[in-house]
Parts: sequence; structure tokens; C-alpha cells
Amino acid sequence: MIKLGPASVEMRAMSEDDIFSSRLKLLIIMAKAYLRDCPLGNYRKKAIIENANHVFYHSLHLVSESSALKDNGFEPQADIVSKGKTSEEHLFHQRVQLLAVMAKALAEDRLRGHFRKKALTDNLNKICETLIFKFQIRDVNFLKVA
Amino acid sequence: MSQVNIPNVKIAVVDDDLLVRDFVVTVLMYCVNRDVLSFDSGLAAWRYIEDNESPDIIITEIDVPGLNGFELMAKFKEKSPDKKCLLMSANPDNEQPARNSGADVFLAKPVSVNDLFRVVQTFVVRD
Repeated sequence: MIKLGPASVEMRAMSEDDIFSSRLKLLIIMAKAYLRDCPLGNYRKKAIIENANHVFYHSLHLVSESSALKDNGFEPQADIVSKGKTSEEHLFHQRVQLLAVMAKALAEDRLRGHFRKKALTDNLNKICETLIFKFQIRDVNFLKVA
Repeated sequence: MSQVNIPNVKIAVVDDDLLVRDFVVTVLMYCVNRDVLSFDSGLAAWRYIEDNESPDIIITEIDVPGLNGFELMAKFKEKSPDKKCLLMSANPDNEQPARNSGADVFLAKPVSVNDLFRVVQTFVVRD
């Protein structure tokens, strides 16, 4: 039997924040795979759109929740490991929401042209700089089979 | 060079937690570029399996209503011994029983994208 996942002492039920950070990582991988010309079939496009929608609305929710907490004098908390403070967190979420919009566009064949791809690359780089998330594109060579 | 081990792979995911289930389905659907079956109970999954061609891979949470993951796996393996069954759990006490009962993989929660990629790399596509 193969065991995958965290060590026994780190096992726990998945929270909404776990799902958000995992879906954001998946969205980054989806966008990077697109930029590396991995093929896009119909179900991959469907998965990208579903994932982008989830990340977009969860990010909106986190921003509004954070604002509400601040308004009530509480410090906002997030499980995403970031270097930023509040204004940088706001900017980070704007970039995440932009990534979600870009991902939907690429799945709908609307992200064409050199400068749109450059904007996607720049946005991905900025998000990855903020997240402590090292990801090697060679790890997903298997995605070249569709 | 990547090789497809199971062409047109059919995967089923069973979890009563909608957020987790949808996340696992999204990752797998993206990886294999195929529709992925989704069930909120072991009983619903077994009813489907009884009446249809078995999925090649079933990924089930152990603690699900109807039939639990162990019971579902036992029935699934009896019908289709060559197919793969992966058990998911947030409870470390389930690891040894999963090993003893013949699970192919024990997937500890919280599940990551990389864990699911590893499942696809191991059973569906090989580098």
C-alpha cells in the first residue's frame, strides 16, 4: 500500500482555507501548463473554469471578511502563507482574482496575443513571489498527455 | 516520455464533504481530461457500480454514510479485483486498517494537489 499526504501527526479534516490554498495552487499550475503549451481538452477547460470560479469567489469572500474584521477592531487572519501586510494582502487578492479571470479567459480561448500572455506570466510571477510556493514545471510533464 | 496506462480512465470520488469532493474531482478531471464520477455516500457509489461498468479507480473517504469506505472497498474489490481503491481519511488510526484490508493507497488528509497528481502519475500516466 502506498501512503500519500502528510505524516500522521499532521493529519486533520480539510478546512475552507485548505481548499482555497489548494485550489489557488492548482490554478497556478493550470496557468503555467497553458503557458507551456500543454494541450487543453474539453474537460480540462471545464475544470479550469470551475476552479477559477471557486478561487475568485472565495478570494472575494476573504477580502470582505477581512474588511469586516478590521472594521470591528480585529486583526485579519489567513492560512495562506504570505509576506505581506494588510494593503499587500489586498493587492495579493486583487492579483488572485485577476488570475482567476485570466484562467477563465484562457479556457474559453479568449486569452490570445503576446501581451495578454505576458500579463498572465507577470501576474503569476507576482503571486508566486508572495506565496511560499515552489513549483517546478517538470513535475507536470504527464499533463502533456490529454 | 509519458505513457497512458489506462486509456479513457474512469475515476469515481466518494466523499460527503462537498468542498473536498469537488476539489478532488476538479484536480482529477483536469489531469485526465475526462469526466469524473462523484458520489456523496458509499451506498450511492455502490448502487452505481452494481449497475454499470466498474470505475478503474475509486477514491473514497472512509467515514461516509451508507456504506463506509472499508465496506465499499470490500464490495468493489470483490466485483473488480484488478481495479484500484484509494482510501482517504483525516484520522491516522485508519491507516493500519486500510493496509490490512487491501487498499492500494492511503490518502491522508489534508489532501494536496501534488498527492492527487501522484495518484494520476502512478495509476494513469507514467513518465
